[in-house]
Amino acid sequence: MIHDFAIVWNERALLLNGLANTAMLSTLAAIAALVLGFILTPALMSKRRAVSGAAQIFVDGMRCVPFLLFAYIVYYGLPSFGVRLDNWTSGLAALTIYNAAYMAEILRGAWVVQPREPIEAGVAFGFSEIRLFRRIILPPLLLSAGPVIGNQMIQIIKDSAFLTIIALPELTHAASSIQSRHYVPFAAFITAVFLYWGLCLVIEAGVSSIGRVAEARR
Amino acid sequence: MSGSDIAAIFQGAIVTVTLSLIGILIGLPIGLGLALIRWANLPIGAGIVTLYVSMLRATPLVTLLLLLFFALPNIGVPINPISAAILALVMNTSAFNCEVWRSALMNFPKDQYEAAQSVGMQAGQRFRRIVLPQIVRVSLPGLVNEMSLLIKVTPVLAVVGVVDITRAAVRIGAQTYEPLPPLLVAVALYAPIVFALVSLQRWIERRQIAAEAAA
Amino acid sequence: MAEFSKVLDVAGVSKRFGDVEVLSDVSFQVDKGETVCVLGPSGSGKSTLLRCINWLERPDAGQIYLNGERVGINGAGIIMSDRDLSQIRTRIGMVFQHFALWPHLTVLQNLMEAPVQVQRRPKAEVRDEALALLAKVGLSEKRDAFPARLSGGQKQRVGIARALAMRPDLLLFDEPTSALDPELVGEVLVVMRDLAREGMTMVIVTHEMGFAREAATRVLFLDRGRAVETGAPDRFFSNPETERARQFLQRYAGDTAAGRR
Repeated sequence: MIHDFAIVWNERALLLNGLANTAMLSTLAAIAALVLGFILTPALMSKRRAVSGAAQIFVDGMRCVPFLLFAYIVYYGLPSFGVRLDNWTSGLAALTIYNAAYMAEILRGAWVVQPREPIEAGVAFGFSEIRLFRRIILPPLLLSAGPVIGNQMIQIIKDSAFLTIIALPELTHAASSIQSRHYVPFAAFITAVFLYWGLCLVIEAGVSSIGRVAEARR
Repeated sequence: MSGSDIAAIFQGAIVTVTLSLIGILIGLPIGLGLALIRWANLPIGAGIVTLYVSMLRATPLVTLLLLLFFALPNIGVPINPISAAILALVMNTSAFNCEVWRSALMNFPKDQYEAAQSVGMQAGQRFRRIVLPQIVRVSLPGLVNEMSLLIKVTPVLAVVGVVDITRAAVRIGAQTYEPLPPLLVAVALYAPIVFALVSLQRWIERRQIAAEAAA
Repeated sequence: MAEFSKVLDVAGVSKRFGDVEVLSDVSFQVDKGETVCVLGPSGSGKSTLLRCINWLERPDAGQIYLNGERVGINGAGIIMSDRDLSQIRTRIGMVFQHFALWPHLTVLQNLMEAPVQVQRRPKAEVRDEALALLAKVGLSEKRDAFPARLSGGQKQRVGIARALAMRPDLLLFDEPTSALDPELVGEVLVVMRDLAREGMTMVIVTHEMGFAREAATRVLFLDRGRAVETGAPDRFFSNPETERARQFLQRYAGDTAAGRR
């Protein structure tokens, strides 16, 4: 068993590369999904039925489809329409689009419980448009939604593992590669498990500090 | 895509639903057991459970499944894809269920428990007749949510060769060189199941809110 | 003849919500240094009138002028852009019933935020002025606290200081003490009374009859969306002209008689 772990240690470059890919992919997807979510949420709450209806269908649709299936559709299905993406791009696209729906729901939930008066005060004091959004609306919204967004981020990391299916060189793929070449399944995968756990703890630490910042203002 | 292709996907659906049900049915009581160990604060057990749950919630199901499928035979435990799949599903869902049950247990009003003690109920009775019915009620939306999440991760079984909806669809796509239609059929099979569970969850939540408002 | 000593000129303002006419043809003017208290029963449209002045609500009819400049409609007769509207709003300060402090900012940051971000004034100058204002309302030691840690009376005093930090031509108060516990009302009224004495131009929607009687230069009585009566506070409280005002005051006579300030 120690010997197995020694083999894994020798392959640490591959493993760390996988970890970096997982972290980078997840972070990019999370940010992109959040930005898309900020566009979707007003659409969800729009008074125009066509807009809110379309947005709701998208959100409900993404929540009813398994991510792995959606990733397959993006990777294998898009070429039917002439759009051929490499595995990194389609993986990122799938993660982003899929989680944008969840981010939109999270943001909507956070928005609904925001008190309106401070925002009205912002308007009364001359804030408008982008400045109003950036300095008056956004900060309390993010502080309130922080923990839930953090949870979604963990979900994104776990979904990214599915992309091993399309041969994306993320962490699980790296562990699989090591185990299939050296026959050290336990050592390889348990190391991957600990690395995922580590990522998760980092995010939870981040969420805790956001929680503390929010608590001081509550 | 021919009729037999669609039939193949439907057969995959049977596998998906069956394995999901097994995972849910076994995972529910195990999750409850884990939650109770933590709630009762058993000396070593609670620590182990906390660690176990924390790690399982952080581990992607695909990684867990590969770990079980390849590592168990390596240490002398032979395992086939279906058993590995069920084991992975159960481990995963029990960890998430544990948190749902635990939240209900932690929010359980202590005085009800003490009232049961004071009328002479013993531990087993107290649990069965007072605690359990109420935490089931409180946990229900979260548990149904977990069920819908479980269905959505079952495609992972395809990774170890279990022919569920996803693997059937992918296989047909590879054979016919038209990957999109069978994938869309797969969506059409998953979506109603998940949607039904999500609607069930919302219905339960609405009923509970109404019941509380009436009380 | 342009009346530029009139800080505020409200002419024929009407507003309806659905099929309820909340304001009907309300007109009044406010000279520089005046303190106008808007009184009336609940639902009389007082808050709506106030919120029409800075176009938080858009009037259906009528004109509103701030120092001769029309609010909400530009020179060409079309609705003002957000940017132009925001420019005018920086000259109208507002104090809210539920304080409306920005929760993610400290007290000092609350005061500095709009002058720096909207009026683009230099930070150092804004900071000095903000600290002076905090001292004026008696909350210097709370400058680094977050609003959540303050009492209601403290929050409202911060709200007043925040509005003053914009150096407004006009201050609007939307029932500033209605959400306060009775023992906290006094500290806010003291600040408002001092402001009135210093010559700040103010329009105050309030239920505090004692304060209105003592601090107002003029009283405007609204009933069911109409400006029913206006005049000097002494005359209004002791000898109202209209029947509706008389009925209203009778209901509140108990309050003033009991010496509720």
